[in-house]
Amino acid sequence: MFEDAENFADIFRGGLPYLLIALPVILICSANPVLASSEFSVQRMSQFDVNGVSYGCRASALSLEAKSLYTWSTGRHCVVAKLQDISIEQFREIRQKAGGLVILLPKNVSAMTFEEKEHLNLLEQSMLSQANSIPIYFSPYNEELERVISDVTRTSSINNDGKAQRSSAAAELFASISANGYQVIVSGASHTASKNSKIPIIQGELAATSKILKQVENGGEANSKLPLIIIAAHLNTFGLYNEYPLNADAAVLLTLADVFSKLHNTPNAVPKYRLLFLLTESGTLLNFQGVKKWLDENVQLQNVDFVLCLDTITQALNAEAGSLYMHVSKPPKEGTAMNEFFKLLKINAAQYENITVDGVHKKINLADQLVAWEHERFSMKRLPAFTISALKSPKEPIRSTIFKDSEERIIEQTRLHAKIIAESLAHYIYGIQEPSEIFADKLQIHHKMIKFYMQLKSALHNNDLKNAFEKYLKNVKIMYDKPDTRDPDFMLYDGQEARLNVYHVKPAVFDLFLTIIICAYLASVYFFIQYFPAMYDTVCKLTKAQTQVTQSNSNNTKSKLN
Amino acid sequence: MCNEMTLYHFGNCIALVYVPYYLTYKYSGLSEYGAFWKCIQAGGIYIFTQLCKMLVLATFFDSDTLNGSGEGFSFLAELLKSSVNVADLLGFALILSRIPGKGHNKLITTGLGWAAAEVILSRGIMLWVGARGTEFSWVYILKCLESNVLLVQHITTATLMWLFSRHDLNKSLKPLVTILLALTIFKGVWLEGLLSVLTFGPWSTIAVKALIASIMGFMSLHVYTGLAQQIGI
Repeated sequence: MFEDAENFADIFRGGLPYLLIALPVILICSANPVLASSEFSVQRMSQFDVNGVSYGCRASALSLEAKSLYTWSTGRHCVVAKLQDISIEQFREIRQKAGGLVILLPKNVSAMTFEEKEHLNLLEQSMLSQANSIPIYFSPYNEELERVISDVTRTSSINNDGKAQRSSAAAELFASISANGYQVIVSGASHTASKNSKIPIIQGELAATSKILKQVENGGEANSKLPLIIIAAHLNTFGLYNEYPLNADAAVLLTLADVFSKLHNTPNAVPKYRLLFLLTESGTLLNFQGVKKWLDENVQLQNVDFVLCLDTITQALNAEAGSLYMHVSKPPKEGTAMNEFFKLLKINAAQYENITVDGVHKKINLADQLVAWEHERFSMKRLPAFTISALKSPKEPIRSTIFKDSEERIIEQTRLHAKIIAESLAHYIYGIQEPSEIFADKLQIHHKMIKFYMQLKSALHNNDLKNAFEKYLKNVKIMYDKPDTRDPDFMLYDGQEARLNVYHVKPAVFDLFLTIIICAYLASVYFFIQYFPAMYDTVCKLTKAQTQVTQSNSNNTKSKLN
Repeated sequence: MCNEMTLYHFGNCIALVYVPYYLTYKYSGLSEYGAFWKCIQAGGIYIFTQLCKMLVLATFFDSDTLNGSGEGFSFLAELLKSSVNVADLLGFALILSRIPGKGHNKLITTGLGWAAAEVILSRGIMLWVGARGTEFSWVYILKCLESNVLLVQHITTATLMWLFSRHDLNKSLKPLVTILLALTIFKGVWLEGLLSVLTFGPWSTIAVKALIASIMGFMSLHVYTGLAQQIGI
């Protein structure tokens, strides 16, 4: 083919049909090459269904142009912003009209001011309160993404200035050409319902040892007839996104199991009570589904003195020491076990840093889809139940927050609350009326204990939780609450982990502009080549003149010599 | 939409690289002589030369010295690498001796064939993969401009090599030609070294390279015209 080609254009004349076929084939075959400028690992916002109502983020695909909070306008824009910069109003608008949202999480939440933390909390609550049809992703703090955000915001401010001035069309055109754009692409995420979504429920019992059992039997009581106290808490495995929030309640529950098992093993100190520890991995967000399931499985609970539920025993953010609340569905009557415990709790709390305990009465609203407190599930089954919490109202946004303050303060406060509850419970069990410290010396509740129990992960991830239960308790059982296939009470979703790519792109106008520049350049190259012979001639004349001069010079010298 | 835009950008880059080559071919008179096949041959010799160079580099030089000590400009490594560039000159000499041609056309054929082969082999893949990516970068436009400069440089080298091989070249001009050839070979050392010392930006680097290529081109043109008139081509 090359031999036949008389000139360059002949090649194309002959090969054009092939080229026309081959080029599209090549284009289709070769996927768009990905040269990642910056890649971030991101978390998709949590997604779950409760009682057929959807919550969280309902989408996952994202490939849009990045815009700042102030410049986005259509569904073809993805808003990229820092969490603390988004107002609730802005979020509402974004979730309705924008195409996506990428949020950079704050670097250090504990260093923020009280108001900023409050804002985070309220924003978090409004995000989780309903289903969002746009994909929302969270990135842990990193400088590169922050630079992208500041870049996007800065170009927007330049554009805003341009709008304000409107001085010249050329200036505006130039601004649009020189603007830096970013393309945001997320890969690896999905939003399919998880096939094995289940809620683990773990329980364990602390009963009198056989030696004591005999004594009791002598007294004519079987072990199963001993009065039962249920201590219930929940472990949250996710919040706004797929990460463990502060699980102070589970830590307190395990601490109680720890110290009471030590107490049970102390000779002559065995109480005539059975303690049942119940930990479900479904909190406020999942409407305490685990407890519902557990109550359905354990219909015949007898001889239950009361059910002690733990909920937000320590606030994860802006924790204020000073008060605990005992929430009940029905005010306890004089002489009941609950009332007695409440009195003991008040007395004991006053011993430690003057903490006050107030009773809060809230009737169960059966019309409400969501249960306000965990104890309501028990109360509905006519079990005497109450919740101890640091919060006064069940509607506080802090309940499901994923953000945490610095650990030391939280641990100290949790330890104190655990101590108060443990002391009150022990006082109740042994029937001691006067305040006296039972958990001292060997039975002391340490910081380390709390810290360790706070790090426990879901029973679906590892066996730490099961091992901890088995270490201190007997009859440890794990059951799983799976959603019904036809009418699921709850549903969890897959595809939380994803990769976010941010590409540096230029607007379409820029490429057009570039084409004009390149054309001008090529035209100059063309003229240069066209005028090259003329230039060649000039140089020729120059050299000719020189050679003539040198020749005449040499002639002169020759003639002189002659 | 994004995909089309990147393809458009790729088209921009391709135009910037290859159109000057086409214009040179078309308007320098080569197309009238049907020198296309000769250009291909020159390209073939370019490939052969590069293979020989790679063989030499791989055989005689330690890869550590070649890569230098990490980042930055390494004088010794560059010097060693450049010394192998003598093979380039041999390649040019081979093309000039093997390819029949008349006067100017011979030189343009050699330079163009050589530069075209280089640009297709070294830039083609990079542009195909890079400029079509979603990520925008000025690097590709810069590389395209640089390949334009290389075209001028290679035609200059072909001219110098031809002048060097002539016996009827004025004796007083011989040292100048030799110096220019040496400068071409060791361009990697002195030019890159200078640029890294002066810490020029990417755009000024290209500008300096273009300036130096045109100065050297003009000097060789000056020498060439003298000889061409003397022997009457």
